[in-house]
Order: sequence, then structure tokens, then C-alpha cells
Amino acid sequence: MDFEPSDDQRAICEAADALLAQHAGPARAAALDSAGGYDHELDAALASAGFSEAALGPETGFLEATLLCRAVARAAGCVAFGASALVAPGVTGRALPGPVALARLHDDAPIRFGADAKSLLLDCGDEARLLRIEPGTATRVRTNFMWPMGRVKQVAGAGTSLGGGSGAKLRRWWRVALAAELLGAMESALAITLDYVKRRRQFGRAIGSFQAVQHRLALATVMVEGTRWLTYEAAARGAPDESAALAAAHAADAAQLVFRETHQLTGAMGYTREHPLHVFSMRLAALRQEMGGLAAQRREVARARWASAEGARSEP
Amino acid sequence: MDFEWSPDDARFREALRQFLDDELPPDWEELSRHGPGSDVQAAFSRGFCAKLAERGWLTQSWPRAYGGADATPWRHAILSEEMWRRGEPRGSQYMNVNWIGPAIMKFGSEAQKRLHLERISRGAVLWCQGFSEPEAGSDLAALRTQALRDGDDYVVNGSKIWTSYVNGAEFCFLLVRTDPSSKRNKGITVLLAPMDAPGIEVREIPSVVGERYFHELFFADARIPVACRLGPEGEGWDVVSYALAYERVGAMRYARAALMLDAIAAHAQARGLADDPGVQEKLGAARAAVEAARVLSYRVIDLRARGSAPTADTNVARVAGTLCENAVSDLALELFGPDALEYGHAGDAYFRLAMTAGVAVGTTEINLNLIAGRMLDLPRE
Repeated sequence: MDFEPSDDQRAICEAADALLAQHAGPARAAALDSAGGYDHELDAALASAGFSEAALGPETGFLEATLLCRAVARAAGCVAFGASALVAPGVTGRALPGPVALARLHDDAPIRFGADAKSLLLDCGDEARLLRIEPGTATRVRTNFMWPMGRVKQVAGAGTSLGGGSGAKLRRWWRVALAAELLGAMESALAITLDYVKRRRQFGRAIGSFQAVQHRLALATVMVEGTRWLTYEAAARGAPDESAALAAAHAADAAQLVFRETHQLTGAMGYTREHPLHVFSMRLAALRQEMGGLAAQRREVARARWASAEGARSEP
Repeated sequence: MDFEWSPDDARFREALRQFLDDELPPDWEELSRHGPGSDVQAAFSRGFCAKLAERGWLTQSWPRAYGGADATPWRHAILSEEMWRRGEPRGSQYMNVNWIGPAIMKFGSEAQKRLHLERISRGAVLWCQGFSEPEAGSDLAALRTQALRDGDDYVVNGSKIWTSYVNGAEFCFLLVRTDPSSKRNKGITVLLAPMDAPGIEVREIPSVVGERYFHELFFADARIPVACRLGPEGEGWDVVSYALAYERVGAMRYARAALMLDAIAAHAQARGLADDPGVQEKLGAARAAVEAARVLSYRVIDLRARGSAPTADTNVARVAGTLCENAVSDLALELFGPDALEYGHAGDAYFRLAMTAGVAVGTTEINLNLIAGRMLDLPRE
């Protein structure tokens, strides 16, 4: 047992943070959002630094890829890093032509990066299928949730099967990636709010000095820190069923609280486009409904831990 | 980062489980439901801890100089998890090992070390702690119980309240005010008070938590020898801060919650509720709360293992532990149903154990205050 990052892990995270400080951030995410676009420049920068291949690297693995996924989310990166750098290698053992998007079968609802992706990993229950998205087959969707989103037309039996059992593998890594993205976005939403309540004065004092405010931020911190270690543990262990579901369920639960409290405590300012909170909070709201949302993640925890052989079913 | 147990640690846990299977009597599960303050459990802990001591496990975390094995904080955590999992057969003696002994090692005289450490490591002595008072709960520094020097004794007057584990206790780790003119955390002193000293009266406060759970201790001119003082006079606050920092994460109560939740899930399955989405959702939510408490407690152990000073991570783990116990005890009543209302049912016993989680050993509000101040750097004003 050892919860401290190794020197190498620390160096990777510092290098990533430096790159992200230059190529990402909430202001850039907001600008890209109004242009309706995907951050191909950031994708290229992450790839040329070798970060996109961390999961399958000679001296790095899925834990490092998860740490990077959290870092990209914390910097509001407008890229499909979780799907491309964590889920794709987790399911196929190789990198896929990116950006990569993730979807569930017969679910033609808007998905993140649907209009930008070249590859689609499709959860078909027992198996996962890999589809090439041809230009012009996806439509961009207007959204207020700060991710580029699109609808992808699904054709029955299209693409190639990744084999029996690959569906579960897809869902396990999808959960870990989702938890890491939620973690990163929650950390930034909380940091922005902490900064705000320390500076904002009412009744002659910083509002962050009121115990009613402090307790809510402290409780949110408890939830975020729980998410952190459940997520890293799941990644380090290779995304076992229960562990992956626990990370995603706890992350979705925490995100609900963090969304509500950060907006409550930043008041009207937090809703504006000039304030950075909305970039992270709206993303959190979108992320926590992914894969069926909190209720589905919790049911998966219960299934993974207690389902008897005959009770075990594959989703969806 | 590494989230796997070392092979040695895994073997230790296996050996411990085997020991518990061998040593706990067949009716232990039922005995344990009477609660840690009960006559049966107080008596049981003596024999049980003596056996743990024979195996070298009771005080394994202590330094070799005091008969321990310098076991790592991780080893100590495994011991605590396995004990709590099975209803804490050590009873109150976990306190002796976790912080009373270490405080005596740090601040005790040679005579105190000889008198207490050996008895603690044999598993042959019970302690209680005299901290809270009617007017000093979360605000412990407001304590008023007075101890005035008279020759070779302190003459103690006042009262302590909410004291647990008094049943059969031979000693009390007692906080008193030795300087009547002092305020707040100055002028406080620790006494290792023998409970049979004349002038100490014990009264049970009947409660819904369980048998002999809370007590009031009354001191009427109780004479405690000066030789029982731990550390310098007037510096008891430092002694107790050290002791409680040493305790850090405290009891690994989530381990009990985890086992209880497995039993609740099995019961739900037997009732045919395994496919009920609402039930699955609640079970999953509680399981996540249990596991979050586990990893956050591990974070504290990890910091301790690398020798870092105590941080508010301890308070984060404690709040998570309370959320975990709340989630599981809610389900205990809901899924066991009316059977759990009968005294002594597994659900009833767990409900009683868990209901004090947010209050005992520091309230949730105090923990949240400490997180806000120390971790989030929010202003006091």
C-alpha cells in the first residue's frame, strides 16, 4: 500500500499541468464552446508529448493514463482524452484513430464528441463493437453543457465486434475514465468556489468565514477526496467490476453535491459566462448522467458485489 | 502508488482471521450484540486480549523496547479492521493499545511505565477516559473538574459525563484542572486515576444505545496520588493532544459496516428483492459510502506510515466513516424490516452501534470545522 505518487508519476503530472496551462484552461474551453468546436490543437500537443499513449507505454500504464485524464479534465481540456487514452486501449489493447467517442447500442441520444469523433466504441451488451464514423454521418447538437456533442446514426451490426466479454471491459474502463473526468472537474469547481468565498465580503466579513458555508465546502471535500482514491485504486487494479463501479457511483454522487454547492455559494456570479465556474459545473452535470447516471452506477455496484450467478446480467 | 497488500500483510490478515474463527465462541455474534459496555463483553475482552497478547499481536504496533514488535501502521490497521469486522472482541482495550499506552510511553515516569505498560500488553487491564463534562463537550477546554494539591495527593472534585467502558475499568485517563485560576487549555493536567479511589462514584445513564453505554463519574474529595499524574502539571492539554493525534483515524468502524451490509444484501436476496432496482440502488449507495470510508482511512494510515505530521485528512476520514455508518444503519432497519425492531436482532444491534457515529470521539461539526480551517484554509473571523 502506498498512496503517494512515485517520482515518475509526479514528473508526468507536472509536465502535463505545464502543457495544459499553455494549451487548455476554462477561458479556452469557453471560447471553443461558442465556436462549437473540438480542441484538435490540444489533442496534438498531448499526443506529441506522449501523454495520449501513457496507458500502453513501456514505463507507464493505466494508472498514469488515469492521472492524466484527471489533469486534462481539471484544466477543462476540450478533448476526448478519457475515451481515447484510457477506454480505447483498455478495450482493444491499442490506440484507435481519434477522437474516440463512446455510446450505448440503440441509444442515438447526443453523446460527447459525437460530431468530432473518427472512431466509436459501442456498448452492445456482451460485446463491444468498433465503428468508423464517416464524415457527414454525425450531426452536431447545440448544448449548454460545455462539451462538444453530437448524434451518431447507429446501423445494426455495423463495424467490427471486439469479441465476447468486450462489452463488460468497455463499461469498466468507461466508468474509470468517467470517474477521473468527474474528479478533475470537481476539483476545479471547488477551487474556484473556495477562492470566491475567501474574497467575497458581505456583512463586513468574507462569506467563507461563515460556518454554514464552511461546512458545505468541507463536506464536498470529503466526497471529492473519496472519489480520488476510489478512482486511483480502480485504475491501479485494472478496473475490476466492483471497483470501477464504486469509483463511478461515488463520483456521480459527489458531482451532484459539488454542482449544487458551488453554484449556491458563488451566487448569481457563478451563472455568468464571464465567471469560470460554469465550464466545470455544466460539464459535471453532463458527465454525471452518462452511462445511465447515478442510479445506474449504484445498481452496478450492487450487481458487481452481490449478484448471484443467475442474477448476473449484462448491460444494457 | 500501490493499492495492493504486500504478501506478508495478506498472510497476517489470513492468520488473524483463522485465529478469530478458532478463538471466538460459537455464540460470540450474539454476545457482541449486547454492546461494548455490557458485563459479558467487558469480561470477555480480558480473556480474549490475553490470547491476542500470547500471539504477540495485542501490542504489535508498540516499539520493541516496550514489548511490541514495531509493526507498521498498515499492520496495525489490518488488526483494527479484522477486530471491528467481528464486533471488536477487544472491547475497550483497543484504547489502551492505540493511545493510552503510547501516551504513557511518551510522558510517563519509569514507575508509571512499569505499572501500566506491562499490564496493558498482557491484555489484563481495562481503562475508561474521563474527558467530557456537562459543560464541556465539543468544547473540551471548558472543563472544570478541579484537582487541588494537598501533600502527596490531588483532591479531585467535579464530574465527568458520557463516559463509556466504565464497566470493570481499573483506571481512568482523567482530565482535570489543577490551576483554578486558569482558563481554556492552560492549567489542565492528566491523571491516571485508579477507579477504586474513595470518593469516585459511578452512575449509569440509561440510554437507547445499549447496556452500560454512558456513565457519569462523580468526584467528591477523591484523593489521587500525585504519582498518578501523567506529564507535568498544567500541561495536560499537550499530553491529550499527542494522545489523540496518535489515535488519528481511530477505530476502523467501516469494517463492521461492510460486513453488516453484506448480511443485509444476503437478507434482501433471500426475500426475493435482489432484482428490485430501488433496493439495488440503495445497497450500491451504501456500499460506495463504506468503500469511500475505507480508502480515506487508508490515506490517513499511509500518511502515518510515511511519518508525516497529523493533517485534516483524519477529519475527512472520520466524516466519511459517519456517512458510511449512517447509510448502512438506515438500510439495516429498512431491509431487515420489523424483525430488526426486536432487541438483540443483528439489525437492532448495528443500528445502536451506528447511531452515535456522528457524535462519539468528536462530532461531525467539529470535524468539518477542522477540514475548513486546516485543509481549505477558510478564514475564522
